[in-house]
Amino acid sequence: MRIEDVICPFCGCLCDDLVVEVQGTTVVSVENGCTLAHEKFTGDNRLQAPIKRDGRTWHPVSYDEAIETTAQILLEADRPLLYGWSGTNGEAQSIGVHLAELLGAVIDNTSTVCHGPSIMAIQEVGHPGCTLGQVKNRADVIVYWGANPIEAHPRHMSRYTTYADGFFVKGAFLERKVIVADVRETETSNIADEFMHIEPGGDYAVLSALRAIVRGKADIIPSYVSGVAREQLVRVAEMCMNAKFGAIFFGLGLTMSRGKYKNIRNAVELTEELNRFTKFTISPMRGHWNVYGSNEVFTWISGYPFAVDFARGIAFYNPGETTSIDILRRGECDACLVVASDPGAHFPKQCCRHLAEIPTILIDPHVNVTTHLSHLQIPVAVTGIDSEGTAYRMDGVPIRTRMLYKSRYPSDREILEKIYQIVLKEKGP
Amino acid sequence: MKSVLYYIKEFARREWFSKFFTARTAPLESPPYFRDFPVLSGKTCTHSLFCMMACPAPGAIDVLRTPQGWQPRIHKGHCIRCGLCVEACPNGVLTSGRILDSTGRDGTALSFSFKIRVDPELCMGCGNCAVACPVNKVIDTQMSHGGRASNEGLLLRVNEGKCLVVHEEKCTGCKTCEHHCPNEAITVARLLEAVQAGEEMQ
Repeated sequence: MRIEDVICPFCGCLCDDLVVEVQGTTVVSVENGCTLAHEKFTGDNRLQAPIKRDGRTWHPVSYDEAIETTAQILLEADRPLLYGWSGTNGEAQSIGVHLAELLGAVIDNTSTVCHGPSIMAIQEVGHPGCTLGQVKNRADVIVYWGANPIEAHPRHMSRYTTYADGFFVKGAFLERKVIVADVRETETSNIADEFMHIEPGGDYAVLSALRAIVRGKADIIPSYVSGVAREQLVRVAEMCMNAKFGAIFFGLGLTMSRGKYKNIRNAVELTEELNRFTKFTISPMRGHWNVYGSNEVFTWISGYPFAVDFARGIAFYNPGETTSIDILRRGECDACLVVASDPGAHFPKQCCRHLAEIPTILIDPHVNVTTHLSHLQIPVAVTGIDSEGTAYRMDGVPIRTRMLYKSRYPSDREILEKIYQIVLKEKGP
Repeated sequence: MKSVLYYIKEFARREWFSKFFTARTAPLESPPYFRDFPVLSGKTCTHSLFCMMACPAPGAIDVLRTPQGWQPRIHKGHCIRCGLCVEACPNGVLTSGRILDSTGRDGTALSFSFKIRVDPELCMGCGNCAVACPVNKVIDTQMSHGGRASNEGLLLRVNEGKCLVVHEEKCTGCKTCEHHCPNEAITVARLLEAVQAGEEMQ
């Protein structure tokens, strides 16, 4: 069966133009999708049934037993942590927040290790952003700062920015300038018109220098700012000021380097300065598939986008205190439910060690690094392949994903709903 | 002093002076086999750029858009007058010496063909090549507006997560794909062959 207009379930681009060939319960070919999309659809490392750790071995358990065990572990915990959520749909995330509220748990998503600082900066100074459609149709200057879309979002340049013909930019890359700022040469910098090679940790200074130039203070800039020559800074600033429409995209190279959220604040303020001359926007390169959706869903329900602590009976948010890394590092949490993500592959060693010591339950379709830290794993359908649901693109556009074939696995939503019902029965409304 | 007088007597002869100032040589004429800088023949340029591709001298030729249409322009400081541009042009837009006469008489031509190679180990399937490709832009606007392949006749497309060369025969050798591949995964080889009439079509 050939299915058109399929939404990719991998990165934040949520490409919605894939053509997928399905035979039975197997995806046999993927057209238009990048390598990451192809592997996501055709990968076959699914866990076949729920598994429970028994000493140094695993043994399969039924879904009912796995759900009951999960609910009991969460009910018995004093400080449970519900982490992940970026690989699943908004409906499941919604149940997750309600479950956290019922349990008095901390619920956090993968923003905590990616664009959490971006959100904190946006809470301070706002977000002069736009949808990717606007960038595609209008932008003639594209800036990638601390981001390498060719590796992480392979189709970003061909679908939304540099190479796509736009309504007002007919000549695509012939009319567009691409500026890359990074601490190393990357695949993206290979095809950039201007590459600012910044010394590690120097982003804040370079952003400040650009702001000074935009404000007409180029004469106070020293010869080099964090490894970038003054002449290049002036050239880049003029390129941006002379743009008809500019768009900055920033990645973890900016959010997770020295300065963290202050870097993003500075970048947003640079965007504001540039808007004195032309139209300029700034957007984060959200990586995990529906991580933007988890921020949205958490915010609708609790008022906060990530690291929400319900221990006080009300939603409490204090990054650095209620974020997963800090809770695990302090050895504070005594049970962890990981949904649709892989903290084992991304968290510091100390946090992973604590995850292995406490009862950690993983709800994820695939065997991943976190499996090896877990006590129980419940395999589920993959949203966008054999389960449907709503996901948010990196620019905040909600897209309804499709179920390509009837799955033999339950969806995350069904599993979480059952856990919620057991907890609700115990805790009362 | 004696030797000075000897030399004056030897060289300051009247015959020598008269021959020096009244010498007559044959007028300078370019021989028929002489190959000068290429000039426009008056035929219409179709912007295939084969002249630029064949030219071995950097910066010797470019093709400009003029009010009269596309026109090749020779930079004499760089041109080595090899005549390859004249032979490679499929429309005979340039001429130099007897090149066009002899190729027309012998039925010979320089023929270009292009081979595209994609390294699947390096290709990320980003689609920059297929979206930027000027041949694809003409064939499928959905491709040029974001990478969705909606036409079977595309030169390049992304399939199974990798760039796929579908209709290599449509390649014009512009190397846009090669220049915009971030992973250096795609290379275009320009093959220039000397062929005789009839061979080109085989």
